[in-house]
Amino acid sequence: MKTRDEQELPIISVRGCLLVSIQTELHDRLALELRSALMERVRLEAIRGVILDVSWVEVIDSYITRILNDIGKSVRFMGADCYMVGIRPAVAMTLVEMGVELDAVSTALSLDAALEKIELAR
Amino acid sequence: MRTVESEIGAILAGSISEITQRSIFRRLGGMARAPLQHLTTQDRHAIQTELESSVRLFAPAKSAQLIASCARALALLGAPGGTADPAAPAAGLFASNPAAASTGGAAPGTPVRSPAMGGDKRLAIDSEKDIASARLEAWAEAVRIGLSKFTSVKVATAVSELARNIVFYAGRGTIELRPRQDARETRLEIVAADQGAGIAPEKLDAIFAGTYRSERGMGKGLVAVQKLVDEFQIDTRPGRGTRVSCVFRGAR
Repeated sequence: MKTRDEQELPIISVRGCLLVSIQTELHDRLALELRSALMERVRLEAIRGVILDVSWVEVIDSYITRILNDIGKSVRFMGADCYMVGIRPAVAMTLVEMGVELDAVSTALSLDAALEKIELAR
Repeated sequence: MRTVESEIGAILAGSISEITQRSIFRRLGGMARAPLQHLTTQDRHAIQTELESSVRLFAPAKSAQLIASCARALALLGAPGGTADPAAPAAGLFASNPAAASTGGAAPGTPVRSPAMGGDKRLAIDSEKDIASARLEAWAEAVRIGLSKFTSVKVATAVSELARNIVFYAGRGTIELRPRQDARETRLEIVAADQGAGIAPEKLDAIFAGTYRSERGMGKGLVAVQKLVDEFQIDTRPGRGTRVSCVFRGAR
């Protein structure tokens, strides 16, 4: 039986978009699995956008940023948008101070806002 | 078997993330997994104190409600009828939690609190799992010694970077947290040390010049830490390991 740590992240389909709520520690293998699962579903279901909900993530370091950015890049290569929502204020301030790049992922205040932006961009 | 972990975990589920819950229970040590009926009044106070600070930190919006639920659960389940004998020889439950053991002399019925600054903490970093726990340990320490909420997130982020570097490039090492206080300021010194391959001088120069990128981003991590902290020092030699010392300051 898989432990909670080894489980895949659930991907939810909502209004033509894929939503992933990140509530567990992202490590290399999990991140790769998430990326390939997302890309497969983007292709099969003609998805317009991928939304990563990080409102549960209390700390984002440069490694996690790179993982999220890589997911964003891959999704964009396939022609879909990638949004990150729910970033905590202290996390945002820390990322700015660290000077890390997150150029392949757009951000939105909430899930609603991200869905709206993706729909407007059609 | 009903334990603090199972009962309190059920209350916190949905309000506090799994990773954070695990870290809270780890800090409680043996008490978290002991059968509820074995807990003394003193144990329950120690648990309640730990839960209160964690819940305030990680779920501020719902903290009052969660703290009340936890207190109820501990009172109802820990001591049927509230008759647990505080003098019962349950001190063994503290054995795996040195911080709690040092305050074991507190009178039964008073909340157990650690001294204002407390001693240095040495965290072993041996695997990827230790990254998350080191991060939360550092965060809790920063909040405990009174650094601001924002600074505490920076502390957690810096420790996360340093712990990752240890796991990815040296395999294992240690991170030490040293709280310091004088008349002017409160400081948290962080020392990350490993016996890994070390970094060659030319590579180190490239890292801080921003021209070096390893596949897993070590260059980025070190530069990020340097930008977050108030003081930064790195000592490294090929074959001799790496030692990064940094300091976060907060006004008194």
